[in-house]
Amino acid sequence: MQKEKIIELVNEVFVEDFEMDPAHLTPEAHIFSELGLDSLDVVDLVVALQKKFNVSIRDDERIRNIRTLKDIYDFIESLDNEISSK
Amino acid sequence: MVFRFQTILLNLVFYSLFFIVSTAVIPTLTLVGMVLFPFGSWRKTLARVRTLIKVYGRVVLALGWPFIRVYAERKGGPVPRPCIYICNHRSSSDGFLAAMLPGEGVQVVNVWPFKLPVLGFFARLAGYLSIREMTASEFMQRSEKLLAQGVSIVAFPEGTRSGSQEMGPFHSTLFRLALKTGAPIVPVCLSGNEKTPPKGSGVLHPARIRVRTLTAVTQEDYAGMTPFKLKILVRDRIVAELKIMESIQ
Repeated sequence: MQKEKIIELVNEVFVEDFEMDPAHLTPEAHIFSELGLDSLDVVDLVVALQKKFNVSIRDDERIRNIRTLKDIYDFIESLDNEISSK
Repeated sequence: MVFRFQTILLNLVFYSLFFIVSTAVIPTLTLVGMVLFPFGSWRKTLARVRTLIKVYGRVVLALGWPFIRVYAERKGGPVPRPCIYICNHRSSSDGFLAAMLPGEGVQVVNVWPFKLPVLGFFARLAGYLSIREMTASEFMQRSEKLLAQGVSIVAFPEGTRSGSQEMGPFHSTLFRLALKTGAPIVPVCLSGNEKTPPKGSGVLHPARIRVRTLTAVTQEDYAGMTPFKLKILVRDRIVAELKIMESIQ
Protein backbone atom coordinates (compact mmCIF):
# COMPACT_ATOMS: atom_id res chain seq x y z
CA MET A 1 0.00 0.00 0.00
CA GLN A 2 1.25 3.46 -0.84
CA LYS A 3 2.27 5.66 2.08
CA GLU A 4 -0.15 8.37 0.88
CA LYS A 5 -3.00 5.87 1.03
CA ILE A 6 -2.02 4.82 4.57
CA ILE A 7 -1.97 8.47 5.67
CA GLU A 8 -5.35 9.04 4.08
CA LEU A 9 -6.93 6.00 5.77
CA VAL A 10 -5.41 6.70 9.20
CA ASN A 11 -6.62 10.29 9.02
CA GLU A 12 -10.05 9.00 8.03
CA VAL A 13 -10.14 7.03 11.30
CA PHE A 14 -9.46 10.19 13.28
CA VAL A 15 -12.11 12.14 11.38
CA GLU A 16 -14.78 9.43 11.38
CA ASP A 17 -14.29 7.86 14.81
CA PHE A 18 -13.00 10.82 16.77
CA GLU A 19 -14.66 13.60 14.79
CA MET A 20 -11.43 15.54 14.56
CA ASP A 21 -10.83 18.52 12.36
CA PRO A 22 -8.62 17.33 9.44
CA ALA A 23 -6.61 20.54 9.79
CA HIS A 24 -5.22 19.24 13.11
CA LEU A 25 -3.99 16.01 11.57
CA THR A 26 -0.37 16.81 10.87
CA PRO A 27 2.28 14.05 10.99
CA GLU A 28 4.02 15.61 14.00
CA ALA A 29 0.79 16.00 16.01
CA HIS A 30 1.20 14.31 19.42
CA ILE A 31 -1.79 12.05 19.91
CA PHE A 32 -1.94 12.61 23.69
CA SER A 33 -0.96 16.22 24.35
CA GLU A 34 -2.15 17.75 21.08
CA LEU A 35 -4.99 15.55 19.84
CA GLY A 36 -6.24 14.85 23.38
CA LEU A 37 -6.39 11.05 23.39
CA ASP A 38 -5.83 9.07 26.59
CA SER A 39 -5.00 5.42 27.17
CA LEU A 40 -8.66 4.36 26.90
CA ASP A 41 -9.09 6.33 23.67
CA VAL A 42 -6.06 4.46 22.32
CA VAL A 43 -7.98 1.22 22.85
CA ASP A 44 -10.79 2.68 20.70
CA LEU A 45 -8.21 3.84 18.18
CA VAL A 46 -6.70 0.36 17.92
CA VAL A 47 -10.16 -1.14 17.33
CA ALA A 48 -10.87 1.44 14.62
CA LEU A 49 -7.49 0.87 12.94
CA GLN A 50 -8.02 -2.90 13.00
CA LYS A 51 -11.35 -2.42 11.29
CA LYS A 52 -10.03 0.05 8.74
CA PHE A 53 -6.94 -1.98 7.72
CA ASN A 54 -8.38 -5.42 8.46
CA VAL A 55 -5.45 -6.37 10.69
CA SER A 56 -5.01 -7.59 14.25
CA ILE A 57 -2.74 -5.23 16.17
CA ARG A 58 -4.24 -5.40 19.65
CA ASP A 59 -1.34 -7.34 21.13
CA ASP A 60 1.40 -5.69 19.11
CA GLU A 61 4.01 -4.28 21.50
CA ARG A 62 4.91 -1.49 19.06
CA ILE A 63 1.64 0.28 19.87
CA ARG A 64 3.15 1.28 23.22
CA ASN A 65 5.75 3.41 21.45
CA ILE A 66 3.27 5.41 19.40
CA ARG A 67 3.31 9.10 20.27
CA THR A 68 2.58 11.00 17.06
CA LEU A 69 0.46 10.53 13.96
CA LYS A 70 3.65 9.84 12.01
CA ASP A 71 4.37 6.95 14.39
CA ILE A 72 0.99 5.47 13.41
CA TYR A 73 1.65 5.94 9.69
CA ASP A 74 5.07 4.27 10.06
CA PHE A 75 3.64 1.46 12.17
CA ILE A 76 0.91 0.67 9.65
CA GLU A 77 3.44 0.89 6.81
CA SER A 78 5.79 -1.60 8.50
CA LEU A 79 2.83 -3.87 9.22
CA ASP A 80 1.82 -3.67 5.56
CA ASN A 81 5.38 -4.53 4.48
CA GLU A 82 5.43 -7.52 6.83
CA ILE A 83 2.15 -8.83 5.43
CA SER A 84 3.32 -8.30 1.81
CA SER A 85 6.59 -10.12 2.38
CA LYS A 86 4.87 -13.22 3.79
CA MET B 1 4.14 46.20 48.93
CA VAL B 2 0.51 46.17 50.10
CA PHE B 3 -0.07 42.92 48.22
CA ARG B 4 2.98 41.36 49.89
CA PHE B 5 1.73 42.45 53.30
CA GLN B 6 -1.71 41.02 52.54
CA THR B 7 -0.16 37.72 51.46
CA ILE B 8 1.88 37.41 54.67
CA LEU B 9 -1.13 38.32 56.82
CA LEU B 10 -3.38 35.93 54.88
CA ASN B 11 -1.02 33.00 55.39
CA LEU B 12 -0.40 33.74 59.05
CA VAL B 13 -4.10 34.05 59.80
CA PHE B 14 -5.26 31.24 57.51
CA TYR B 15 -2.84 28.56 58.63
CA SER B 16 -3.25 29.46 62.34
CA LEU B 17 -7.03 29.31 62.01
CA PHE B 18 -6.83 26.19 59.84
CA PHE B 19 -4.95 24.40 62.59
CA ILE B 20 -7.21 25.67 65.37
CA VAL B 21 -10.45 25.13 63.46
CA SER B 22 -9.43 21.68 62.23
CA THR B 23 -8.55 20.52 65.73
CA ALA B 24 -11.90 21.87 66.98
CA VAL B 25 -14.25 21.25 64.05
CA ILE B 26 -13.16 17.74 63.02
CA PRO B 27 -13.64 16.19 66.48
CA THR B 28 -16.94 18.09 66.90
CA LEU B 29 -18.28 16.92 63.55
CA THR B 30 -17.05 13.38 64.28
CA LEU B 31 -18.92 13.49 67.58
CA VAL B 32 -22.07 14.69 65.80
CA GLY B 33 -21.69 11.82 63.34
CA MET B 34 -21.21 9.28 66.13
CA VAL B 35 -24.24 10.54 68.06
CA LEU B 36 -26.38 10.28 64.93
CA PHE B 37 -24.89 6.91 63.88
CA PRO B 38 -27.51 4.70 65.64
CA PHE B 39 -30.32 6.64 63.96
CA GLY B 40 -30.75 5.41 60.43
CA SER B 41 -29.12 3.09 57.94
CA TRP B 42 -25.48 2.91 56.84
CA ARG B 43 -26.53 4.74 53.68
CA LYS B 44 -27.87 7.58 55.81
CA THR B 45 -24.67 7.60 57.86
CA LEU B 46 -22.62 7.96 54.67
CA ALA B 47 -24.83 10.83 53.56
CA ARG B 48 -24.21 12.53 56.91
CA VAL B 49 -20.45 11.99 56.64
CA ARG B 50 -20.49 13.62 53.20
CA THR B 51 -22.54 16.53 54.51
CA LEU B 52 -20.16 17.02 57.42
CA ILE B 53 -17.17 16.98 55.05
CA LYS B 54 -18.92 19.65 53.03
CA VAL B 55 -19.52 21.75 56.16
CA TYR B 56 -15.84 21.43 57.05
CA GLY B 57 -14.86 22.38 53.47
CA ARG B 58 -16.98 25.51 53.60
CA VAL B 59 -15.58 26.48 56.99
CA VAL B 60 -12.02 26.14 55.62
CA LEU B 61 -12.92 28.25 52.57
CA ALA B 62 -14.23 30.97 54.87
CA LEU B 63 -10.94 31.15 56.79
CA GLY B 64 -9.23 33.13 54.04
CA TRP B 65 -11.78 35.93 54.20
CA PRO B 66 -11.49 38.82 53.36
CA PHE B 67 -8.36 38.10 51.29
CA ILE B 68 -9.81 35.02 49.63
CA ARG B 69 -13.47 35.24 48.69
CA VAL B 70 -15.29 32.34 47.15
CA TYR B 71 -18.45 32.78 45.09
CA ALA B 72 -20.78 30.04 43.88
CA GLU B 73 -22.38 30.94 40.55
CA ARG B 74 -24.80 29.16 38.29
CA LYS B 75 -25.20 29.63 34.57
CA GLY B 76 -28.11 27.84 32.94
CA GLY B 77 -30.86 25.89 34.60
CA PRO B 78 -30.92 24.07 37.90
CA VAL B 79 -28.25 21.47 38.52
CA PRO B 80 -29.69 17.96 38.00
CA ARG B 81 -29.00 15.45 40.75
CA PRO B 82 -27.30 13.12 40.74
CA CYS B 83 -24.84 14.19 38.08
CA ILE B 84 -21.20 13.99 37.14
CA TYR B 85 -19.47 17.26 37.92
CA ILE B 86 -16.57 17.86 35.56
CA CYS B 87 -14.23 20.54 36.92
CA ASN B 88 -11.02 22.13 35.68
CA HIS B 89 -8.12 21.64 38.08
CA ARG B 90 -5.62 24.36 38.94
CA SER B 91 -4.83 24.13 42.62
CA SER B 92 -4.72 21.82 45.62
CA SER B 93 -7.57 23.87 47.11
CA ASP B 94 -9.96 22.54 44.44
CA GLY B 95 -11.01 19.65 46.67
CA PHE B 96 -12.29 22.21 49.17
CA LEU B 97 -13.99 24.24 46.40
CA ALA B 98 -16.06 21.15 45.62
CA ALA B 99 -17.89 21.92 48.89
CA MET B 100 -19.62 24.73 46.98
CA LEU B 101 -21.33 22.29 44.59
CA PRO B 102 -24.95 21.38 45.30
CA GLY B 103 -26.03 17.96 46.50
CA GLU B 104 -24.40 14.92 48.01
CA GLY B 105 -21.21 14.01 46.22
CA VAL B 106 -18.02 12.01 46.33
CA GLN B 107 -14.80 13.10 44.70
CA VAL B 108 -12.63 11.15 42.33
CA VAL B 109 -9.11 11.58 43.68
CA ASN B 110 -5.54 10.50 43.04
CA VAL B 111 -3.89 8.45 45.75
CA TRP B 112 -2.38 11.33 47.73
CA PRO B 113 -5.52 12.78 49.39
CA PHE B 114 -6.03 9.39 51.03
CA LYS B 115 -2.60 9.71 52.58
CA LEU B 116 -3.39 12.99 54.35
CA PRO B 117 -3.60 12.57 58.12
CA VAL B 118 -7.19 12.64 59.44
CA LEU B 119 -8.64 14.08 56.19
CA GLY B 120 -7.59 10.95 54.31
CA PHE B 121 -9.45 8.77 56.78
CA PHE B 122 -12.67 10.74 56.32
CA ALA B 123 -12.28 10.79 52.52
CA ARG B 124 -12.01 6.99 52.55
CA LEU B 125 -14.93 6.71 54.97
CA ALA B 126 -17.10 8.91 52.73
CA GLY B 127 -16.42 6.56 49.81
CA TYR B 128 -14.21 8.88 47.76
CA LEU B 129 -12.89 7.09 44.71
CA SER B 130 -9.12 6.73 44.50
CA ILE B 131 -8.99 6.10 40.78
CA ARG B 132 -5.38 4.88 40.67
CA GLU B 133 -6.04 2.27 43.33
CA MET B 134 -8.75 0.44 41.41
CA THR B 135 -9.28 -1.12 38.03
CA ALA B 136 -11.38 0.65 35.40
CA SER B 137 -14.20 -1.86 35.82
CA GLU B 138 -14.16 -1.51 39.62
CA PHE B 139 -14.30 2.26 39.23
CA MET B 140 -17.25 1.96 36.87
CA GLN B 141 -19.07 -0.42 39.20
CA ARG B 142 -18.65 1.76 42.28
CA SER B 143 -19.53 4.94 40.41
CA GLU B 144 -22.64 3.38 38.89
CA LYS B 145 -23.76 2.30 42.34
CA LEU B 146 -23.22 5.79 43.76
CA LEU B 147 -25.17 7.42 40.94
CA ALA B 148 -27.98 4.90 41.42
CA GLN B 149 -28.07 5.92 45.10
CA GLY B 150 -28.47 9.57 44.09
CA VAL B 151 -24.86 10.54 44.85
CA SER B 152 -23.09 12.84 42.41
CA ILE B 153 -19.52 12.24 41.27
CA VAL B 154 -17.11 15.18 41.40
CA ALA B 155 -14.13 14.78 39.08
CA PHE B 156 -11.12 16.64 37.77
CA PRO B 157 -10.45 14.79 34.50
CA GLU B 158 -7.19 16.61 33.79
CA GLY B 159 -5.84 14.21 36.40
CA THR B 160 -3.33 16.69 37.72
CA ARG B 161 -3.26 20.37 38.62
CA SER B 162 -2.45 22.63 35.70
CA GLY B 163 -1.04 25.28 38.05
CA SER B 164 -2.00 28.03 35.59
CA GLN B 165 -4.90 29.29 33.53
CA GLU B 166 -4.08 26.67 30.88
CA MET B 167 -6.12 23.49 30.86
CA GLY B 168 -4.66 20.06 30.23
CA PRO B 169 -6.23 17.29 28.13
CA PHE B 170 -9.05 15.29 29.73
CA HIS B 171 -9.05 11.61 30.58
CA SER B 172 -12.12 9.89 29.17
CA THR B 173 -13.15 7.55 32.03
CA LEU B 174 -15.83 9.88 33.43
CA PHE B 175 -17.34 10.40 30.02
CA ARG B 176 -17.52 6.66 29.49
CA LEU B 177 -19.32 6.49 32.81
CA ALA B 178 -21.85 9.09 31.63
CA LEU B 179 -22.43 7.23 28.36
CA LYS B 180 -22.90 3.97 30.26
CA THR B 181 -25.26 5.32 32.93
CA GLY B 182 -26.98 8.20 31.13
CA ALA B 183 -26.06 10.53 34.00
CA PRO B 184 -26.03 14.24 33.15
CA ILE B 185 -22.68 16.00 33.08
CA VAL B 186 -22.41 19.38 34.76
CA PRO B 187 -19.34 21.33 33.61
CA VAL B 188 -17.80 23.39 36.43
CA CYS B 189 -15.46 26.34 35.94
CA LEU B 190 -13.06 27.06 38.80
CA SER B 191 -11.56 30.48 38.27
CA GLY B 192 -9.18 32.61 40.35
CA ASN B 193 -7.87 29.59 42.26
CA GLU B 194 -4.54 29.13 40.47
CA LYS B 195 -2.62 30.86 43.28
CA THR B 196 -4.46 29.48 46.27
CA PRO B 197 -1.83 28.02 46.53
CA PRO B 198 0.21 27.88 43.29
CA LYS B 199 1.39 24.43 42.21
CA GLY B 200 4.51 23.43 44.11
CA SER B 201 3.96 25.95 46.90
CA GLY B 202 1.93 26.23 50.07
CA VAL B 203 1.74 30.03 50.04
CA LEU B 204 -1.77 31.35 49.53
CA HIS B 205 -2.31 34.55 47.58
CA PRO B 206 -5.30 36.89 47.84
CA ALA B 207 -7.90 35.88 45.28
CA ARG B 208 -11.47 36.14 44.17
CA ILE B 209 -12.48 32.57 43.38
CA ARG B 210 -15.55 31.67 41.38
CA VAL B 211 -17.14 28.24 41.19
CA ARG B 212 -19.50 28.39 38.25
CA THR B 213 -21.72 25.48 37.20
CA LEU B 214 -22.80 25.50 33.56
CA THR B 215 -25.87 24.09 31.85
CA ALA B 216 -25.91 20.31 32.15
CA VAL B 217 -25.05 18.13 29.17
CA THR B 218 -27.81 15.56 29.31
CA GLN B 219 -28.19 12.10 27.84
CA GLU B 220 -30.37 13.67 25.16
CA ASP B 221 -27.48 15.97 24.21
CA TYR B 222 -24.79 13.31 24.08
CA ALA B 223 -26.76 10.39 22.63
CA GLY B 224 -24.73 8.68 19.91
CA MET B 225 -21.50 10.46 20.77
CA THR B 226 -18.19 8.70 21.30
CA PRO B 227 -16.47 9.17 24.70
CA PHE B 228 -13.80 11.18 22.92
CA LYS B 229 -16.28 13.52 21.29
CA LEU B 230 -18.13 14.00 24.59
CA LYS B 231 -15.00 14.86 26.54
CA ILE B 232 -13.93 17.37 23.89
CA LEU B 233 -17.40 18.96 23.94
CA VAL B 234 -17.38 19.37 27.74
CA ARG B 235 -13.76 20.56 27.80
CA ASP B 236 -14.47 23.13 25.08
CA ARG B 237 -17.45 24.47 27.06
CA ILE B 238 -15.31 24.91 30.17
CA VAL B 239 -12.49 26.56 28.20
CA ALA B 240 -14.93 28.96 26.49
CA GLU B 241 -16.63 29.91 29.75
CA LEU B 242 -13.34 30.42 31.59
CA LYS B 243 -12.26 32.73 28.80
CA ILE B 244 -15.40 34.80 29.32
CA MET B 245 -15.05 34.77 33.11
CA GLU B 246 -11.40 35.79 33.03
CA SER B 247 -11.66 38.44 30.34
CA ILE B 248 -14.09 40.50 32.41
CA GLN B 249 -12.48 40.04 35.82
